[in-house]
Amino acid sequence: MSAEFTPIPAASELSGPFWAAGLDGVLRLQRCNSCDHIRFPLDWICARCLSSEYEWARLSGRGTVQTFIRFHHAYDPSWEDRVPYVVALIELEEGPVMISNVVGEGALDVRVDDPVEVVYELKNADATLPQFRRTQVR
Amino acid sequence: MQLFVTVVRQSFEESDGEFVIHNGRGPTAVIAGVGASPQGKFPGSTDLSLATQAVVALLDDCGIAKDDIDGLLTMPGTTSHEPAKHYLELGEHLGINPKVAGSLQMGGATCGALVQQAALYVDAGMAEAVLCVFGDAAKTGGSRFSAAPGRDPSWKNWGMFGNAANSAMGATRHMALYGTTSEQLGWVAVNGRRNASMNPDAVMRTPITIEDHQSSRWIVEPLHLFDCCLITDGGVAVLVTSPERARDLRQPPVSLLGMGQGHTLETLAKKDWWYLPHQQDCISRAYRMAGLSPADIDVAQLYDNFTISVLFWLEHGGFCAPGESGPFVEGGTRIALDGELPLNTAGGNLSESYMQGWLHVVEGVRQMRHAAGVRQVKGAETCMVTGRGMTLNTSSCLILGKTS
Repeated sequence: MSAEFTPIPAASELSGPFWAAGLDGVLRLQRCNSCDHIRFPLDWICARCLSSEYEWARLSGRGTVQTFIRFHHAYDPSWEDRVPYVVALIELEEGPVMISNVVGEGALDVRVDDPVEVVYELKNADATLPQFRRTQVR
Repeated sequence: MQLFVTVVRQSFEESDGEFVIHNGRGPTAVIAGVGASPQGKFPGSTDLSLATQAVVALLDDCGIAKDDIDGLLTMPGTTSHEPAKHYLELGEHLGINPKVAGSLQMGGATCGALVQQAALYVDAGMAEAVLCVFGDAAKTGGSRFSAAPGRDPSWKNWGMFGNAANSAMGATRHMALYGTTSEQLGWVAVNGRRNASMNPDAVMRTPITIEDHQSSRWIVEPLHLFDCCLITDGGVAVLVTSPERARDLRQPPVSLLGMGQGHTLETLAKKDWWYLPHQQDCISRAYRMAGLSPADIDVAQLYDNFTISVLFWLEHGGFCAPGESGPFVEGGTRIALDGELPLNTAGGNLSESYMQGWLHVVEGVRQMRHAAGVRQVKGAETCMVTGRGMTLNTSSCLILGKTS
């Protein structure tokens, strides 16, 4: 069963497609039409070539855990029922580094360089939160 | 001054793929005065009241007349209500009309950057006595350092909160790659507290042990409470002036042998962002300007918002090889006052007070005046001071020198 998710800040023209991407289970990030650079965080301009033309590229959703941290304390009341939880920097197969969570089986025992794949468990009608799960739980 | 400018212009050369100043000397400007307000929790204080207290202390320290100050560079605090206009308000409180002024916010890198800016103003002849000032009532003002980092609040979607989180990310990977341990981080905290115990101005003076560090609560794993800096009220001021003017003042001037900055504004898109590669560039630039190498540094005040930050600085400064900073600090002997690299000799952000690196400069100046009392590193003639801020992304370095 999926829990509710509403993005912060509210989805905009720039971020809407990112948050909606997971509705069909596919991670999408902006790819520059001029230099093919795939970027994160979201931006209206390509920081590599300064072109503002882009498309939403379908990514494999696979990556590795570059590093991670474990929160044992909720610094916002909305996270109280989720501690302890893992926040990670995910190095995507296509290159960009994304901030996200590691969730699911063995999440709290995650290690640096673990392979992971995207998963969408939190959603509402027009937004989902991309998180990652370990593909090889040791 | 003219000679300096000419030398700099003639000495640009290509090195490691970038143009650098390689003149074996920094600016002629010196640090001639420092001052700090009391540090701690002071209900009723404001960022501006604390900053003015620091200035009064500085005037007393070096004996310069207020009306001789012709430059005002400030860093707004977390409690400043209109940060971009901070210098205007502070100047009005101080009753001065300077030739140059402005405010800059680069977090923990700001003090170093403002001292550098002041030195350039002085060397260019645009001002002769430039005051750099910071004040913050973060403790009584209830400043929260748990906001979601990142360009916008979007990182909150993944529960990424707090200033500690970014540094914790670096700590985890350093531990995984190199076997660095939490206990090794603890030695940075123990060393800072040991030095703070000899500093009557420090906020936290009771010595701690590795066991205390290990049993302190998680702020965000792998960082414990004792891996994290304090939150305090206080103000700090630093005076940069010409050697000629300094001769008329009370204190021996402290030289600026080397100065550098480095910034990663790309954040996540920068390769190995977690390792803060800009810090290495920052220190290298300062070494080149000074014509010095790691072996020439006698004492260091390395920015310690979190213990892991000090490990990164040690590697970036070339004091040990990449990955070896954990063993370098372990046991606390190499970094002690009588060790090979005495570190954060007043207690730092972790134990003296969280003045975002400003007190690191003050302590560096005291060490170079040979006026640090029981904390004085004997015979020290050079001191490195580093600062870093804005998530992980800004850095500054000063190499201070004793004048004969």
